[in-house]
Amino acid sequence: MSLRILTQSFIRQRVFTPAFAARFYGTKKFTSSHEWIDVEDGVGTIGLTDYAQKSLGDVVFVELPEVDTEVEAEESVGAVESVKAASEIYSPVAGTIVGINEGLLEKPNTINKSPETDGWLFKIKLSDASEIDKLLDEAAYKSLIESEGH
Amino acid sequence: MATVRPARRGLISVRSCLERPRPAGARTYASCTLGRAQKDLDCLPPVGYVYLGNVAYDKATRLQTELVSRRIEQVRGGGAGISRLIDVLLLLEHPPVYTNGRRNKGKLSDEEIWRVRAAGADYVETNRGGEITFHGPGQLVGYPIMHIKAHHLAARCYVEGLENTIIDVCRKLGLPAFRTPEFPGVWTSPDRKVAAIGSHIRRYITSHGFGLNCTTDLAWFTHIVPCGLEGKYATSLQTELERHNNHKGADFSSVGVEAVVPLLVESFGSVFNVKMEPLATLSPATLEFIQDRLQ
Repeated sequence: MSLRILTQSFIRQRVFTPAFAARFYGTKKFTSSHEWIDVEDGVGTIGLTDYAQKSLGDVVFVELPEVDTEVEAEESVGAVESVKAASEIYSPVAGTIVGINEGLLEKPNTINKSPETDGWLFKIKLSDASEIDKLLDEAAYKSLIESEGH
Repeated sequence: MATVRPARRGLISVRSCLERPRPAGARTYASCTLGRAQKDLDCLPPVGYVYLGNVAYDKATRLQTELVSRRIEQVRGGGAGISRLIDVLLLLEHPPVYTNGRRNKGKLSDEEIWRVRAAGADYVETNRGGEITFHGPGQLVGYPIMHIKAHHLAARCYVEGLENTIIDVCRKLGLPAFRTPEFPGVWTSPDRKVAAIGSHIRRYITSHGFGLNCTTDLAWFTHIVPCGLEGKYATSLQTELERHNNHKGADFSSVGVEAVVPLLVESFGSVFNVKMEPLATLSPATLEFIQDRLQ
């Protein structure tokens, strides 16, 4: 599996520039803290995975970053509240916030109902498109969550 | 559902219970219930408890922020050469203070803030979940600073654990208490809450926690709508025992904060299935870290 990832990255670097690749390869990647990021045209849409929303319980409040904020990779950009626990959310990549899902301010439980589509949190213009190469692909992420075994 | 485990299982059960960076590609455990599999329970880190007495709210908040930051650094493999901090359960009381959760930042009107300050308490907005509540004399406040990933706990299961811990304390005192998914906290009746909950989780490290009314003067709660819940009331262990006039299960002459501390520590250990030890013995370095910041 890791060999395949290496091959994909290798081909992309050889034949395409990162920006060109982003235009043609919509890539959904994952983090070990259960966020997903879907990059298109250099802009990543970020949300929480289904596994994350199950761990949180019913989301009652979402705090999102302001548009135009510049963030570093791994920086805290807001929080999601459930069962009176405010869990910080982090941006997996560096860049500038270009959009937030305002619908969540009215209906935070969209995160529970459609975590990987309508429940997206924010959009970020990546400052370094290659940062997503370090993240987990879908197979690696599935393997991560399956390893809990129950 | 049980799955067949590879032969590596023996290796896993022998592994040290101390935190250490995981090698790349290692399986990361996660669990969504407190009914965790035996393999998860075999290797949970112990928790050091310490009763800190009366601590000003802002000092306690700063302490927690620093504890959490240091733990996050450690978990990510940093902090070499600095004393390693362990999971702790901070138990304390606060001077009178009303605190609010992050979703209510800036939401209290000047008039409301004036009213609570006129009552003789401070007002502080925090980064925890939950809404407005009161902390003060007679209330046992607990702040577990734990790495819940190492305990195989999802956020909602951690909160359920806090609730079940307090429910167990109530049981020992002969008081029926329960939790309800709709309203986090611990209730002795559909409209009486004996303990409030509000946590903050950063990179799986918890802070803030719970406030259990032992002998709290409940008049403090009349100046607010506790936790934003109209028609619900705060109660205390003392008030409930007086109502029930019932001491089955244990005989305690007092349900003051200091008397409840050992009950709570024991219940925490059994609900979370962790070994509880005095912090002074388990990790003098962590205790020193805490004491330095409470000067």
